[in-house]
Amino acid sequence: MERLPLYSYRILDLTTAWAGPYGTRLLADMGAEVIKVEAVNHWDLLRALTDTPPDVELVWNKSPIFNHVNRNKYACTLDLGQPRGRELFLRLVALSDVVIESYRSPVMENLGLSYDVLRSARADIILVSTPSHGKTGPEKDFVAYGSNIEQLGGLTAISGYLGGGPQKTGISYGDPVSGIAAAAAVALALWHRRRTGEGQYVEVAQWENMVGLIGEYVVGYSMNGRLPQPMGNRHSSMAPHGCYPCCGDDQWVTIAVEDDEQFAALCRIMGRPELAADPRFADVVSRYRNQDELDGIVAEWTRQRTPKQATEALQTAGVAAAPVLGVPALFDDRHLRARGFWETVSHADAGTWDVDGVPWRMSRSPAHIRLPAPRFAEHNGYVLRGLLGLSEEEIQELAAAGVIGDRPNPSVHE
Amino acid sequence: MTSLSALRVLDLSDGVAGAFCTKLLAGFGAEVIKIERPGAGDPLRRHGPFPDDLPHREKGALFLYLNTAKKSITLDIAQRTGALIFRRLVEGVEVVVESFSPGYLAELGLGYESLARIKPRLVMTSITPFGQDGPYAGYKAANLTAFAMGGQMAVTGEPDREPLKNGGYQAEYQAGLHAFAATAVAALSADSTEVGQHIDIAAMECLATMLEPYVSSWAYLKRDIGQRRGNVVSGTVGLYPCRDGHLGIHCMPRNWPALARALGREDLLADERFRDHYHRLQHNDELESIVYAWATTQERKAAYQRAGGLRAPVSFVHTVQDLLEAPQLRARGFFQQIGHPAAGRQTYPGPPFRPEAMPWQAARAPLLGEHNEEIYCEELGLSRQELALLRASGVV
Repeated sequence: MERLPLYSYRILDLTTAWAGPYGTRLLADMGAEVIKVEAVNHWDLLRALTDTPPDVELVWNKSPIFNHVNRNKYACTLDLGQPRGRELFLRLVALSDVVIESYRSPVMENLGLSYDVLRSARADIILVSTPSHGKTGPEKDFVAYGSNIEQLGGLTAISGYLGGGPQKTGISYGDPVSGIAAAAAVALALWHRRRTGEGQYVEVAQWENMVGLIGEYVVGYSMNGRLPQPMGNRHSSMAPHGCYPCCGDDQWVTIAVEDDEQFAALCRIMGRPELAADPRFADVVSRYRNQDELDGIVAEWTRQRTPKQATEALQTAGVAAAPVLGVPALFDDRHLRARGFWETVSHADAGTWDVDGVPWRMSRSPAHIRLPAPRFAEHNGYVLRGLLGLSEEEIQELAAAGVIGDRPNPSVHE
Repeated sequence: MTSLSALRVLDLSDGVAGAFCTKLLAGFGAEVIKIERPGAGDPLRRHGPFPDDLPHREKGALFLYLNTAKKSITLDIAQRTGALIFRRLVEGVEVVVESFSPGYLAELGLGYESLARIKPRLVMTSITPFGQDGPYAGYKAANLTAFAMGGQMAVTGEPDREPLKNGGYQAEYQAGLHAFAATAVAALSADSTEVGQHIDIAAMECLATMLEPYVSSWAYLKRDIGQRRGNVVSGTVGLYPCRDGHLGIHCMPRNWPALARALGREDLLADERFRDHYHRLQHNDELESIVYAWATTQERKAAYQRAGGLRAPVSFVHTVQDLLEAPQLRARGFFQQIGHPAAGRQTYPGPPFRPEAMPWQAARAPLLGEHNEEIYCEELGLSRQELALLRASGVV
């Protein structure tokens, strides 16, 4: 099998929660050796986000969300706040290509791990930071998580039902989109290093990255000064364009009609061919004007069908239609199954499940889940003995001094 | 010029996702040559808003935003002559980005296998709603339907109403951002191995990998927690109306003391009902009513500044105007003014991230076919007369 694209790179991952770890998951999927550095008193809060009762043995290794976001990675412990921990971390930096962190400012500086210090350990090291607001500016110390990012970034204000107020997205949207940007930042910085021999510092301000995902609204406002309003499921030029009820509990189908031809096909499939010539709907402008009425007609038809029936009938006629898939339906979806999207992963403490595979499908080096998420401190031996060459005695001293450990302190995330 | 200038990209795509992917490559310095259809050009040129609401193919906000720092040539690759010219262009690039229906380029003799014979280190990124194979590969799609299929729509909106898409083209932006990162990774690898590959990006799959915690809960516990929950997820995570807008709170367990201070309720820290995360969830209704009542007395900007100073995770819903006025973004010089011969000077968002050594290229979008002479004559060595011949035959 071909080597994975990032097989030769080592990344020290100080990020926690979802944004940074989603980014390093993408890089780990691509073959990078991602080593999560945790500590007994500083461990990933996702390990604690679990419904498993706290008195269950090794509960921190059993969090579904942690195990999901951290597959293909390694984990070790090092207390960076202790001089010996910091020193060993810098020795690891000398053996690595990238450090990525999501600490609040100015934690890295307080730990004595500013970019200049990292460079003294390895001259061409790349440092990527993923602050919410950025590392400069009057609000650099403000705190924000995923849903805050979409609010700050302008997405929430333009999301919502027609005529209604702003609406939160269904996921912690700012997190994964920041993670993708961070993964791209790592790849570009590695490109730059290949070409110039130089490392660099990259700041991924999550707020700014988010604004980029609604950029046309900024340019549009700049042109005409009109504040965009939530449009529900409608589009600026297509109609019908919406989400329609189907038979069954909470079953929906989405339909988007682009032109006259597609509209005629929709009418034919609905058994209402005369509507295509009806003056209320005959052209794009009339359909757009009369879409409330049109939505009612489409809904009458969808209500008597399942999302699957409506989708298949419309797709046969060349109309964009799709069911609204919840997670259980995604797991059963025949397309994702046929493409081998779901992969099985086994974890020593947490069991065996099917989870989503790798979204970047490369023809020559197809990537898969190679490793389950690391147990807390699982790779202390690999990192301390294997990479740093410490003796058994030294490792025991580190454990005695609390620089490393194999059980996280539960009171950190209560 | 940045080190990425050595990366040359041909962009055949005609949707938001592909355009966003190559906008980001161009922004960090890659030379992106956008190939548009002779005549109308990129369909994105038809989308508004436009200055004074007058449609014009050089003035649409969506096109202008998504095509900054690119070059534009026109070429009809469906004609044999056009396909041959395209093959010559491929010799000089590292990356091709495309978004056609699966199989279309292969029909024209321009599929990945065929192009890789011309240029072994070529990375070709195909961005489609459902991917290059599988039962839905030929399905028609739009941003709305891709959003529905990727699982994010089912969890967005109010529980008693229809599922809701996010504002704008979020399914396409997510796929475009994924494609950008994947292309950068594959180009990096090809730079050392001298062998490229074909990347298949399916929006549906990209979206489905971003469904925490719904996927993990179902995968590991067979528990479906993907019910729509509207704007209030819990007493300390959600959107709360305030006097002049909406405040957003996203409190993790460690932020509780800071949030209680921001609410002006330090007394809650000593309240047994709220002593840890578990107990706060047990008393969620009481907490929610406290937060809700507090928010209604607040003005958004003042509350945000005060909470920020206390390091409580409180934000407010920013309109586009709020964004342009935001002190933090202004201090950081995030927004940029970019002039354009047809559309004039407008305000654009800056870079998604800031690599110290790879400054963002804030250059305007190209006019349709603006770089025909540069690419066809200077680079491929055609004479002006030959270019005129191609124009006359509708190839260019």
